[in-house]
Amino acid sequence: MTVTPTSPADAGAGVVQPALGSRTRRLLYGSRTLAWLLLLPGLVMVVLFFLAPVVLTAAFSFTNMSTATGVSGGVYQVAPSSISRLKTALPDLADELSQPRYVIDQAGLDALGQTSVPKPLLDELAAKHMGEVFDNRRDAERMIKTLGGRPSTAVVKQISEAFNRSIVNARFSSKTALFEAIDGLGIKATPEQKETIADNTWTGWVWTTGNFERMFASKDALRTMLNTVFYVAMVLIIFNTAYAMFLAIATHYMPDRTSGFFRSLWLLPRITPPVIYVLMWKWVAWDNGFLSMLLAPFGVAPRNWLLDTGTNAWVFVILINGVVGASMGMLVFASALKAIPQSQFWASEVDGASRWQQIVHILLPQLRWPILFITCYQTLSLLASYDYILLATNGGPGGSTEVWSLAAYHTALFNYAGNLDYGYGAAMALVLVIIGITLALLYLRVFNYRALVSRPIIEH
Amino acid sequence: MRILLDHFSKSFGAVKVIEDMNLEIRDGEMLALLGPSGCGKSTTLFSICGIHRVSGGRILFGDNDVTNVPSQLRNVGVVFQSYALYPHMTVRQNIAFPLQVKGLAAADIKQQVSAIAALVHIEELLERRPAQLSGGQQQRVALARALIRKPDVLLLDEPLANLDAKLRLEMRSEIRRLQLETGITAILVTHDQVEAMSMCDRIAIMNAGEIIQIATPSEMYHDPRTEFVAGFLGNPPIAFLKGTAQDGAVLLDKSDIRIPLPGRGRPAGAGRVTLGIRPEDFGPQGDVQIPGTIVFVETQGRENLYDVRLADGGMLRSIQPVRGDLKVGDAVTWAAAGDKIMVFGEDGSRL
Ligand SMILES: Nc1ncnc2c1ncn2[C@@H]1O[C@H](COP(=O)(O)OP(=O)(O)OP(=O)(O)O)[C@@H](O)[C@H]1O
Ligand SMILES: [Mg+2]
Repeated sequence: MTVTPTSPADAGAGVVQPALGSRTRRLLYGSRTLAWLLLLPGLVMVVLFFLAPVVLTAAFSFTNMSTATGVSGGVYQVAPSSISRLKTALPDLADELSQPRYVIDQAGLDALGQTSVPKPLLDELAAKHMGEVFDNRRDAERMIKTLGGRPSTAVVKQISEAFNRSIVNARFSSKTALFEAIDGLGIKATPEQKETIADNTWTGWVWTTGNFERMFASKDALRTMLNTVFYVAMVLIIFNTAYAMFLAIATHYMPDRTSGFFRSLWLLPRITPPVIYVLMWKWVAWDNGFLSMLLAPFGVAPRNWLLDTGTNAWVFVILINGVVGASMGMLVFASALKAIPQSQFWASEVDGASRWQQIVHILLPQLRWPILFITCYQTLSLLASYDYILLATNGGPGGSTEVWSLAAYHTALFNYAGNLDYGYGAAMALVLVIIGITLALLYLRVFNYRALVSRPIIEH
Repeated sequence: MRILLDHFSKSFGAVKVIEDMNLEIRDGEMLALLGPSGCGKSTTLFSICGIHRVSGGRILFGDNDVTNVPSQLRNVGVVFQSYALYPHMTVRQNIAFPLQVKGLAAADIKQQVSAIAALVHIEELLERRPAQLSGGQQQRVALARALIRKPDVLLLDEPLANLDAKLRLEMRSEIRRLQLETGITAILVTHDQVEAMSMCDRIAIMNAGEIIQIATPSEMYHDPRTEFVAGFLGNPPIAFLKGTAQDGAVLLDKSDIRIPLPGRGRPAGAGRVTLGIRPEDFGPQGDVQIPGTIVFVETQGRENLYDVRLADGGMLRSIQPVRGDLKVGDAVTWAAAGDKIMVFGEDGSRL
């Protein structure tokens, strides 16, 4: 392949660069600069994937953005919906806006000039009535009929129609245009009233705290929050910590090979792609699946165990997430256990401690930090992730397994009705972020983080 | 309480560490298990306290066969080489632990902890954590924890190995004092012969999983059963010379030095032998003249240690009160005390 240089700049691209200047070299290799350079990718990631989304979410949550408003700009449109909104604030004006007006203007005359309407008639109209506004068709037509030449009813109708100036559904790109149109129609409105009209006819998004007001008043939101608390608490306590700890301790007392086998076994669900993993659970739960088959001999009618009742759905949601989530705690706890010197186990044994006492008095207290870490990490990840629930029940049946993050997703990004409520969804997500940070701080408090990292006073 | 190891064996998988060991520790005595690293001292100790299950034989405490009794029920106190204190507990909680798991009343525990803390002199450390203690203090805590439930047996696995020289000296007498005060039967595992000799009533010397000799420290020092034992005890160590036995005397290799043999160690016929001469038995006074050259002088304060090379290349050591008239390179003819010379056969056993 040959490259034809198209400009002197291109031609220079192949030339070997001169050695780096000493200034550049200092910048590149000075340790401080180097540290920043090495940190840079990380910082960019933090800004790009953490700070920016959080800030954007916070910003969005104070808007009413939705599919209807769009996320960019908007126009002023006196749509029927905006008129009905306006009716509560300005009933008279709303009424006036909804009615067509008849305005004798140049645009109407020009339009009629193209038709068969006699020219003298139009000239007369222009001369006598230019700029007049009629509140309704009857008044306008009465005026037209007074013109010379006695136009036929059909022509009168044709002429009046040409001057029908309804503002309904007209779109204005700016406030000034909207106000001009209102003035042009002869509608009398004070500047404040005009502002109100502008607010109610704006089709784009606006800043608002309405999302939060709506959220705190909503029964659905309350139910979703209670679902979330239940879900996080159950999975966290039963599986991510207690069961993970049980697995770690049980495998700790096993011979190396056996324990390795069991640990890998529990890692399998984590490695399996979620779609396949959940599909396997669905096979278990379907009406002609494993569970129904197993229970058939006992006279239990086959059914979809995953979605038939809220309780069953919860059992599966907790199991599905728990079985996946236990492996991480197990690994962290097991390696923390390995770090406890063997001699401490021996010592406690000869001190007379039963295995249970050994676990309670020697083992668990020394796992405080890993337990804190897992609790904190898993709470946040359970709060934020909804993939397994989405795949398994999608919040069903009837919203009984709808958790906060899934509801935020449904609100902002996926909705059967097709109207996506970005602003409200963002508000839900923001609440999640705030709860997450609060919980993390709380955990550090409860587990006495400062005492954990304090330095010992060594004295001889 | 008397401890008896009866044909005790221990192996880890295919690794046979101890085979058919017989050992008796008398009631109230302190016995040292002395031997080089890896000879199976800890293994023996851990089998006695039940941490390891024995592969063969029996272990008796008094007349009770405890071979299959779990360690929790053996009532032994163990001080581990690393002390194995529980880092998350205070000193008080550490010491109280054996009583706590027994379910004793809090007031009882408190009183007993105070008593034992006074015994090992750590009353003022009770509220600290192990990380806030020096090695010697941790040592005392470990001792207190081992002693608090009044064990029948006290097992110490190299308890002094992690301490500095001064502290080691102090803890040596401290541990011995505690053992004598409590009258407890104790086993001290160590590879330090000074520790074994200074602290214990008897020493069991081990090598490669076998007990080679059991005796009181002075018996063992003066009457070692094998070359290994003689070499292990004594600091500075005994010096060995190679030679051939002939007519009641030993002819040293590549020289005409003839060393008449003491009555006891007279080999039956001719053969290769090793002579052992302790540094304190070689000096200006003696009945067996051995010439050589001083190759090294080490000042030890009150005494000097001289390395003397013989004509055959063999080396003898002599320890003498400090004198200023000798230097490296001087030829000397010193003498050994004939009746103190030890003779070992080719297999290392004493003749
Ligand atoms: N769990 C085990 N598995 C396999 N071999 C072991 C095990 N524990 C100890 N051994 C082996 O048994 C032998 C004796 O070990 P032991 O710990 O009793 O030595 P020791 O005399 O206490 O040595 P040291 O003075 O270094 O502590 C060693 O060769 C060691 O490698
Ligand atoms: Mg050892």
